[in-house]
Amino acid sequence: MNAHPYAMSFLLATAHIHGPHISWAELSPIAVLGVGALVVLLVGLASSQMVRARLVPTLTLVAIAGAIGTEIWRFSHAPQTIVAGALRIDDLALIADLVCAVAAVAAVLLAWRARAPREAGQGEFHSLMLFSLMGMAVLVSAQDLITLFLGLELLSIPLYVLCAAEYRREGSLEAGLKYLIIGSVGSATLVYGLALIYGATGQTGFGAVAHVLASQSGGGLLGDPLLLTGIALVIVGFAFKASVAPFHQWTPDVYEGAPTAITAFMATATKAAAIAVFLRFFDFTLTAEHVNWAPALAALASVTIIVGNVGALGQSSLKRLLGYSGVAQAGYMLTGLVVGTRLGVSATMFYVVAYLLMNLGAFAVIVHQERVSGSDRMAALSGLGRRSPLLAWSLTIAMLALAGIPGTIGFIGKVQLIHSLVNGGYGWLAIVLVVGAMISLGYYLRVVAAIWMTPADARGVAVAGAGPLAGAPVAAFPPIAGGSPEADLQASAGGGALGVERLTGDPELLLVAGVFGALCIVFGVIPGPVFEFVAHAGAALVGLR
Amino acid sequence: MALDWYLAVSALIFCIGAGGVLVRRNPLVVLLCLELMLNAANLALITFARMHGGEAGQIFALIVMVVAACEVTVGLGLLVAISRRNLPIDVDKLHELNG
Repeated sequence: MNAHPYAMSFLLATAHIHGPHISWAELSPIAVLGVGALVVLLVGLASSQMVRARLVPTLTLVAIAGAIGTEIWRFSHAPQTIVAGALRIDDLALIADLVCAVAAVAAVLLAWRARAPREAGQGEFHSLMLFSLMGMAVLVSAQDLITLFLGLELLSIPLYVLCAAEYRREGSLEAGLKYLIIGSVGSATLVYGLALIYGATGQTGFGAVAHVLASQSGGGLLGDPLLLTGIALVIVGFAFKASVAPFHQWTPDVYEGAPTAITAFMATATKAAAIAVFLRFFDFTLTAEHVNWAPALAALASVTIIVGNVGALGQSSLKRLLGYSGVAQAGYMLTGLVVGTRLGVSATMFYVVAYLLMNLGAFAVIVHQERVSGSDRMAALSGLGRRSPLLAWSLTIAMLALAGIPGTIGFIGKVQLIHSLVNGGYGWLAIVLVVGAMISLGYYLRVVAAIWMTPADARGVAVAGAGPLAGAPVAAFPPIAGGSPEADLQASAGGGALGVERLTGDPELLLVAGVFGALCIVFGVIPGPVFEFVAHAGAALVGLR
Repeated sequence: MALDWYLAVSALIFCIGAGGVLVRRNPLVVLLCLELMLNAANLALITFARMHGGEAGQIFALIVMVVAACEVTVGLGLLVAISRRNLPIDVDKLHELNG
């Protein structure tokens, strides 16, 4: 600050600003999404209703397909750190990108005839989804504390809006506000933690932070309260995003209130991105301090598994049930992170892929259920096996896979996690995982029973029992979720009556449900290709055993 | 000049913000408290940037400000939509989705 003010301004005027070199080939998965989002936003301004309703979702799918294409093109290239060390495009990032992109394709298909894009505007709805997907791509390849924060916010802020997309429905608005407040608390906590880590190390690059930590002599993490507090706050911030207990309370509420296509996107893509960045941050940046953070994360994981599974037992709404199940599954994924080995990273990414396949099929069936019966109550599933065998089988397979029945991808995923846990010396955590899976059968099998084991005449009895109120008005006005048990009963009755008219369901829902249901079985029987795919993720993080 | 006091103030502001988010019921005040939390992080970042002598912390703080503005914009938009529907502006009364 000794320089003369005039000299300073002269220097500023003559200085040539050298931007960082941008390697577009590596950046292409992110760039394609950004360009696609802008194009979709512009096309959404077209005056023709036809263009908006058909062309906009199609263009969105094209943009995502472009991103998937570039991701496959860059896959298994040598890892590159680009844009002055801000991003690192390696196989871990690309696998997480691909998972998020597949979730986005499914979400666009689920929203094809939904109410949310019509109410919020096709262009806005789809471009926000693309921006959120771009945020995920930035987040999972972040190699710098600043990029990490930017990516997280680019992911979250569009999702807050998307949750409230059906803005004429109270539940949707409320879900948006709740997600905004809780998500922002998570972000603020995270950014404070990042600030403390920056303060303790003086670096923002992940590599530089890891270097400083590795070269620290003496007490390490425990000897440095600044760093310790920073890491604790970062864990809390990530835990909010990945819905890890005890920071999970928002999950069932927001999942229930948001439009179902968005719930499907949030449940799968956000979780994949959050887990991937968890992996990169802890198993790469903080890997030198593994001894110190691993017990904390192990405790969080076991609490999450128990809380999620027990919470799901009492749910009657399918979206809430999947919300709690998502909490429990986040706990399973965390266990692979705790061991801090390549095997653990691969097992976690395997489970992320499995979680994607298992959930999207289930959400497609829920969208169908909501369209025919106006509710996502479990009781409304009765008779689905007769009405629409394909959807019924998809939901059954999804539930069995989530519970970890052999022959499905969920079983292989859990076996992988347990293998890595036992190998890494966390046998007790494997036992917690198995106990959690046992509890989870209690609610997953309840869904299966509701699909197949309700007698065909039950709906007729329900209509008779509900009295004169159960009639056309109920079908016309879907009951507000969370209403009285009587309302739920009526909803199922009304749903049954409507369901007879629409025997099959919309083709795009059948496609999503069929494809993901089939993949759960195919990769459950032949898991080899997925193994090879995720093994790249473990190899991408240097410095792991 | 001791930079520690800036950190102490920043930690205090963060705690006030976090406490406010937990205790206050008006979403507008909750949004204000969120701003407090983010600005506490800004103060910490600026202090550390001064301590380490790099510009990374200052850039980080600028980016946090931009993001905070985006979040508040979305939050206020949602509040306007909620008040147009004549819903109560009170986080305790928003129990359409009951946890």
